Amino acid sequence: MEGDQDTSDFTLVTRKPCFGLPTACPNCLPAYIYLKLAQLPFQLAFNSTFPDSEELPYFESGTYVAYNNEDGGVIEKLEKDGIVNLDSQLQSLPDYLSLKALIVSWLDEALTYEIWVGTEGVSASKMYYSDLPWVIGKVLFYKQTYLTKNRLGLTKENAEQREKLIYKRASEAYEALSTRLGEQKFLFEDRPSSLDAFFLSHMLFTIQVLPETSVLRCKLLEQSNLVRYAERLKSEFLEESSSSPSPPLHSFPSSFSGKGSKTKSKPKAEKSEEEKKFKKRARFFLAAQFLAVVIYVSVMGGVSSDEVEYEDDD
Amino acid sequence: MVFSGARSSTLEGSLKYKNIFGHGDIWDSSLAYGCDNSGEVGLGLYLPRLRGRPSPFTSRLYLSTQDWLKFSSYRERALGVSLGVLLSKNHELGYTLAWRNLIDPTQMASRTIRRQIGHSLVSDLKYTFKVDERNSSLRPTRGYSFVSTSQIGGLVPDSRTLRFLRQEIDLKYAVPLGFYRSALNFGVSGGITFPWGSGYKSRASSVSERFFLGGNISPVCSLGGPSALWGFKTRGLGPNEPRREAEDDKSGDAYERDFVGGDVAVTAFADLSFDFPLRWFRERGIHGHVFACAGNMAELSGNKYRNFTAPKFMETFRSSVGAGIVLPTSLFRMELNYCHIVKKQEHDRAKSGFFLTFSTPSS
Repeated sequence: MEGDQDTSDFTLVTRKPCFGLPTACPNCLPAYIYLKLAQLPFQLAFNSTFPDSEELPYFESGTYVAYNNEDGGVIEKLEKDGIVNLDSQLQSLPDYLSLKALIVSWLDEALTYEIWVGTEGVSASKMYYSDLPWVIGKVLFYKQTYLTKNRLGLTKENAEQREKLIYKRASEAYEALSTRLGEQKFLFEDRPSSLDAFFLSHMLFTIQVLPETSVLRCKLLEQSNLVRYAERLKSEFLEESSSSPSPPLHSFPSSFSGKGSKTKSKPKAEKSEEEKKFKKRARFFLAAQFLAVVIYVSVMGGVSSDEVEYEDDD
Repeated sequence: MVFSGARSSTLEGSLKYKNIFGHGDIWDSSLAYGCDNSGEVGLGLYLPRLRGRPSPFTSRLYLSTQDWLKFSSYRERALGVSLGVLLSKNHELGYTLAWRNLIDPTQMASRTIRRQIGHSLVSDLKYTFKVDERNSSLRPTRGYSFVSTSQIGGLVPDSRTLRFLRQEIDLKYAVPLGFYRSALNFGVSGGITFPWGSGYKSRASSVSERFFLGGNISPVCSLGGPSALWGFKTRGLGPNEPRREAEDDKSGDAYERDFVGGDVAVTAFADLSFDFPLRWFRERGIHGHVFACAGNMAELSGNKYRNFTAPKFMETFRSSVGAGIVLPTSLFRMELNYCHIVKKQEHDRAKSGFFLTFSTPSS
């Protein structure tokens, strides 16, 4: 796609927001951050009914669509098609490919492990299946958990060893990235790139979605310059449209922290309202069923007693 | 189970097993394949008698797939169970619980279809009132029929199931004219569907519940809501959108379109049937007919009701006229027609010419 485009037509379709993130999907958030880093105006739309889709996120403008399962991902496709390109002349740098490999393989694997296995899938369930009916959500959740464990190469025999390896690699990746970043604003040449988008997405997920007891989260928080980097980019690029700034990342209360957490009480209040509504409707439904049965029985009982009187008259 | 509208001819085979458990139970397994690449595998149970009394209950477990890639860039798969009860000769109540999945393996769908891709749970209750006083369903020459179908979806406390209301009516009337066994058939059908629940005005209706017009079945035989229109191809008219642009398209101007269906649809037809003078044709029931039909659809959900006006709806009505030969058999009715498209809209898939239609009494 070439030429000037009406930017008001740009839409990024992702999975729905949750945990204080604009999209609670580790595959979708890098694309969102990338467009924000590029300062490309776009609208956000959500698809909450297809958790097992590989197409999400996708970017659309008129009849142009860039799906995530084509050409190496939606970011690569947007660069290739000339929509936006933050990586021009960076791809030839020697560190670029090695850092990219670290982020999209080791760190991605670690985050996937932590979301689906390390935290027993509690956050995954909320991220992907909360908008689906219970039966469908449960079946898809168990199916995806099984597929994820297969993809990570986990078996009962090697689970412990694989976990240690995953955390070890993540820790080494954090150290390498911390060394690379130093006190710079971005990872490369003081300008944003797709690696900043991928890495910032990973960091926001690890800090805001995973519980405080998460091993991966603890390892990341040890690298203070990385946390400062994430806070800086988040406040500069992701909070432009929000009305109030969010608290610092290092003090961000996890969704699974102890009782009395402010961020947990608000969703808990909303959930209890939903629960009350759900229970009220369920009670009406059962009452209607019971009433229908009572009416049926009483009508049938009235018919049979009339018949008995008629026979007596004979 | 009800397929989406604008059905094409379907081939179906079934096997029945009787009295397996000694209660007069009738089991049937069926396999159906449609000309539009739809298919269904089903297993059903019918209990004609329960504890010595006539029982009207039927149940069916089914796995179906309907391939609408060519017309609307999606494929629909459903796994479900349907329960039916025949309350009387004219009244039928049915309940369906199904897991439905819409996918687009080509990744070429238009915007409206892209937004609908995913999983949904359907829990709906359907009430059908049907009166068919016509002397024949394949060649009616006298009598009338009326069908009203009301459907409500989302009948569980879980607000995440598909919530919709759907109403269809169909009225047909046949008047004998007294010569060459000729008869004038009139028919009018209408339907409307809309989501319900919070945010119902801005929410788009599910494409599986929408109405689609066109296909190779005859409006004379089809009973139910609006579906058939002579001369228009399957899903060949109504609201449509451009598909995703193809990367390897070299012509630069070959974007195809998806027909996304309508929330309201109306069709009407008039058909004059008559015997041919030759006895050879009369003995075989082969007769001729001339016909005219009209229809239209519009979107209402997703805030599109704001753009709907009755004058514009009337202005954009499609219509066709034609004549042909009808060959009725004991199983189906075949028509070889010449249709002339009187009025169509841009992008409609219709053209004047010869067409074959196949219809069964229950189409």
